[in-house]
Amino acid sequence: MSIEHLTRKLCGAVACFVLFCGVAKAMAEEDATIVFTPQWTAQAQFAGYYVAEAKGFFREAGVKVRIDHPSATQPAMDRLRNNECQATTLQLCQALEIVGGGVPLVNILQTSMNNAMVIVSARDKDPLTLKGARVGIWSVGFGQLAICMSIKDQLDYQWVRFAQNVNLFVSGALDATLAMSYNEYYQLMQAGIRMTDKNVYRFCEHGYNVQEDGVYMTRDYYLSHPELARRFAEACRKGWEWAAEHPDETLDIVMNYVNRDRIATNRVLQRLMLQEVLRLQVDRESGKREFRLRQDMVRQACDLMLEHKMLSRKVTYEELIIEQGK
Amino acid sequence: MKSIITYIRRKLSVRISLWVVMFAALIFIAALSFLFYQAREEVGTEAISKATQILDKTSLRVEGIMNRVEVASGMTKWLVERHISNADSMFVYSRGMLTNNADFYNCSIAFEPYFFQKWGRYFSAYSKRFAGTGGDSIRTIQGGSDNYQYFYVDWYLMPMLLDQPCWTEPYMDLDVRTNTREMLTSYCQSLKDEQGRSIGVINTSISLNWLSHIIAGVKPYPHSYSIMIGRGGTYFIHPDTTKITRETIFTKTLEQPDTALTALGHAMQRGEEGMKRMNIDGVDSYVFYKPLGHTGCSMAIVCPESDVFGGFNRLRRAVMAIVYIGLLLMLCAFIRIITNVLSPLRRLANEAETIASGQFDTQLPVMKRIDEIGQLSHSFADMQQSLVKYIGELKDTTAQKASIERDLHIASRIQMGMLPKAFPTYPDRDDVQIYASLVPAKEVGGDLFDFYFRGEKLFFCIGDVSGKGVPASLFMAVTRSIFRTVSVHETMPERIVTTMNKTIAEMNKTQMFVTLFVGVLDLPTGELYYCNAGHDAPLLLGAGVSTLACDSNIPVGFMPSWNYSLQKTQISAGTTIFLFTDGLPEAEDATQAQFRQERVEEVAAQALAQQRQEPQQLIGLMSEAVGQFVGGAEQSDDLTMMAIQYIKEQDDVWQRKSIVLPNDVQEVPQLNAFVEEVCEAAGFQPGVTLQVQLAVEEAVVNVMKYAYLPDTHGHVTVEAQLRENSLTFILMDSGKPFDPTTVPEPDITLSATQRAIGGLGMHLVRQIMDSVTYAREDHLNVLTLVKERTRGSVCN
Repeated sequence: MSIEHLTRKLCGAVACFVLFCGVAKAMAEEDATIVFTPQWTAQAQFAGYYVAEAKGFFREAGVKVRIDHPSATQPAMDRLRNNECQATTLQLCQALEIVGGGVPLVNILQTSMNNAMVIVSARDKDPLTLKGARVGIWSVGFGQLAICMSIKDQLDYQWVRFAQNVNLFVSGALDATLAMSYNEYYQLMQAGIRMTDKNVYRFCEHGYNVQEDGVYMTRDYYLSHPELARRFAEACRKGWEWAAEHPDETLDIVMNYVNRDRIATNRVLQRLMLQEVLRLQVDRESGKREFRLRQDMVRQACDLMLEHKMLSRKVTYEELIIEQGK
Repeated sequence: MKSIITYIRRKLSVRISLWVVMFAALIFIAALSFLFYQAREEVGTEAISKATQILDKTSLRVEGIMNRVEVASGMTKWLVERHISNADSMFVYSRGMLTNNADFYNCSIAFEPYFFQKWGRYFSAYSKRFAGTGGDSIRTIQGGSDNYQYFYVDWYLMPMLLDQPCWTEPYMDLDVRTNTREMLTSYCQSLKDEQGRSIGVINTSISLNWLSHIIAGVKPYPHSYSIMIGRGGTYFIHPDTTKITRETIFTKTLEQPDTALTALGHAMQRGEEGMKRMNIDGVDSYVFYKPLGHTGCSMAIVCPESDVFGGFNRLRRAVMAIVYIGLLLMLCAFIRIITNVLSPLRRLANEAETIASGQFDTQLPVMKRIDEIGQLSHSFADMQQSLVKYIGELKDTTAQKASIERDLHIASRIQMGMLPKAFPTYPDRDDVQIYASLVPAKEVGGDLFDFYFRGEKLFFCIGDVSGKGVPASLFMAVTRSIFRTVSVHETMPERIVTTMNKTIAEMNKTQMFVTLFVGVLDLPTGELYYCNAGHDAPLLLGAGVSTLACDSNIPVGFMPSWNYSLQKTQISAGTTIFLFTDGLPEAEDATQAQFRQERVEEVAAQALAQQRQEPQQLIGLMSEAVGQFVGGAEQSDDLTMMAIQYIKEQDDVWQRKSIVLPNDVQEVPQLNAFVEEVCEAAGFQPGVTLQVQLAVEEAVVNVMKYAYLPDTHGHVTVEAQLRENSLTFILMDSGKPFDPTTVPEPDITLSATQRAIGGLGMHLVRQIMDSVTYAREDHLNVLTLVKERTRGSVCN
């Protein structure tokens, strides 16, 4: 056996190996199941993903997806960080916080175009007058904007982290509470709280209109499965578009997920939530569902959080978005 | 409908029965309304009492258990705080809670993060009871972890934030092993260190499944149900299990506002106790609610109104049906009874109709009843007999009355026949037009008017007898006859009236009287001589409307010795004398207002302005005016009007000649020559001329002989006026007043020796001349002799 022969054989073997590795990687990517963990229990906030699964959009896109909801006390991000899931929904501020904290994330689909957070105060009081009040905030990490606002407006709220806020608020243990306009807002109404122009503070109307829900993956996972991520994102977007066009059928699908997980909610609440979530997906300026992260909003959120020392460094739009082909 | 009303109106029995039944129905309605109202109130009160008892019982039971939990928890808290440094003992205390209290579900003694450094971030001594085949077992573990960060959950946060023990909102606990859910509520109180800082929470839970079974089983009524809501309005007990923990009492109101439901929810949330009536899912219901101890939960019993008042409504329907049927039966019975009672009345009614048709002798039914109907029957029989009697008398009276009426009618015709009635009465006259009308208020009247021509004079009168009817008419007839009789001999109106007055007054036993106006119009000259005896002054329609000036004389018939005054006026051509009785100005309308003199004058002026003063037109206009005024009112007095229009002032004297002679009979030849000359001019035949000479001579000699006192000088003037149709001699002297026309006619049937001396001369004059009239004017005796120029008296 000559060296050339050996070399030729070796080259052939290397070529075969490289080829095998390539095919194996491609096959591995093809077979990979994306565990998708929305950041909350089953509800209409995630209607588009349920639709994509129920109507077979994931299957059509060639993506195996398993939707796995978190528990009330374990944030979805923990699961992503622990590689228990490959994709999750996060609010933009959360994502900035996590990226700033050293975990690179990629936004593969932005659904929310508007901010939904509100402060509801008890006893028909203006939240802006409740200096030093005890205000409920989610233990799983939403509410960065509220903290910024509290500092900026020198309200010095005492933040009380909770897993479930309605009962605390109703029992009088809290002076005010943060709420999402599509979720807790209606839960509070359902608990008999009267909403007036006075006792509800909407962040989007006070210069804090920062986008919220988007679908994120770790940068590593994204880079290793770009095509998979693209198809997954595409299927999700398709699910949302279908939901916007078929709200009644979408609601049926949502209720299937809700009932399966025995979530203590009802059809009325979920209908209201779906309507509100779909409304929030329409960009105020263009009047369209754009499904894109806005650079200006990323910059605004980042500046706010930097100013109030909630970020240790600046996180840019480019860090969150990887253009296709790059 | 109309026929039913007509039937009811015709049937007294139906009408009375309906009234009775309606009255009874009103009493029933009032009584039953009160009864039903009271009964309903009672039923409502009973329902409230029933529901309240259940609620109280349940609430007490819950409170009993809760008190036990609170006491046990308090004791354990005391132990924990006494041994706060020993983490392991917490497991013992936690377990001990369940060991010592068989119905406690679980117990956690949880601490702030990193309170026990060796346990790290989480420390929660958690014991839970499990049901096993060999009985219950208790498992104790450390319950905190990344997957269960207890310090963010309600049971931990609430006592810390509220800084006081509290009961959490019920929640469902899923037992993963058995996949069963347990409804729990927890009593939590914060643990304090020696500095009083909160360091953890002790949480004891009890199952509410037993409560759920009790409350769900509360069914005071067949379709009633119970609910329980938490502090946030969440349903924890509801017959629709899909709503439990998923919906709140306000969920429905998010899409469809329901103020009643919202109010109920808020009241229950506030822990109030009470009752509300409202519509739930389309069913009118009563909701009784009460808080369950200190749990913050509230329980409500929903009772459909149809259930609460079901028995009451059935009773009400049954009673109403009985009342309706009873009233109907009552109506039928009353109609039948009253019809029977009134049946004799119907027979009487038929008999009355028979009697009314003229059969007065019809036989009435014999009735033995002694009640009102019997009395009516007897009275009816009496009435029938009286009726027969009275009808007979009425027939006689009617016949008598008819006779009197017939007589009256004849009398009326006679009375009217006395008066001139054919107008124009003298159509060939071109110097005067006369029209008159008399409308008596009764069949016969007391008004009169008359007129006639004598020579060239028009004699007329109008009068009004006091009173009305037959006496007045008789008086009127007498008056009119006397006027005719007297006026033949008298020329001057005052003489006529004076004579009439004397005659009437002497024979007047009834104290009646008559107002009278008598006038004599000298047609050739237009001079009007008149005498007014208390009558309405006539109107003169000439250049204007004026009232003829009249002296105040008393009416005729009072005083026989009254001397009536004579008045004179000149009537110009075209002037109408309008005479009337007081029936004209005193005509009354329906309101008894009078037509009045002013209005008479207004109408006269109107007639004059319209050139309608011609007698017939004037009286027509006046009649029309008074007719419109009176309208449909009954005529109150006789109404008489007479109008005389003097048309032409006669000035047709062809030739006028006069002679003045002294009172000496020697002058008679001169007179005769004068008369002859005039008669020739008049064309009289010689024989006629001789007669006229004789008559004039006789009259003049009378004057010469008797007018002046003996041996006194006087004159007599004779004026001759020749006209187309007559020759007039006017003898005037200033001697003593003497009217030769008043000399009675001699009885020429006697022999010359038997006759009284004198009187023949005037008789001769009357025989020869066609008209002899006398007047006393300006202290002169004026005797007018007229001889008409007829074919027989003048030469061809």
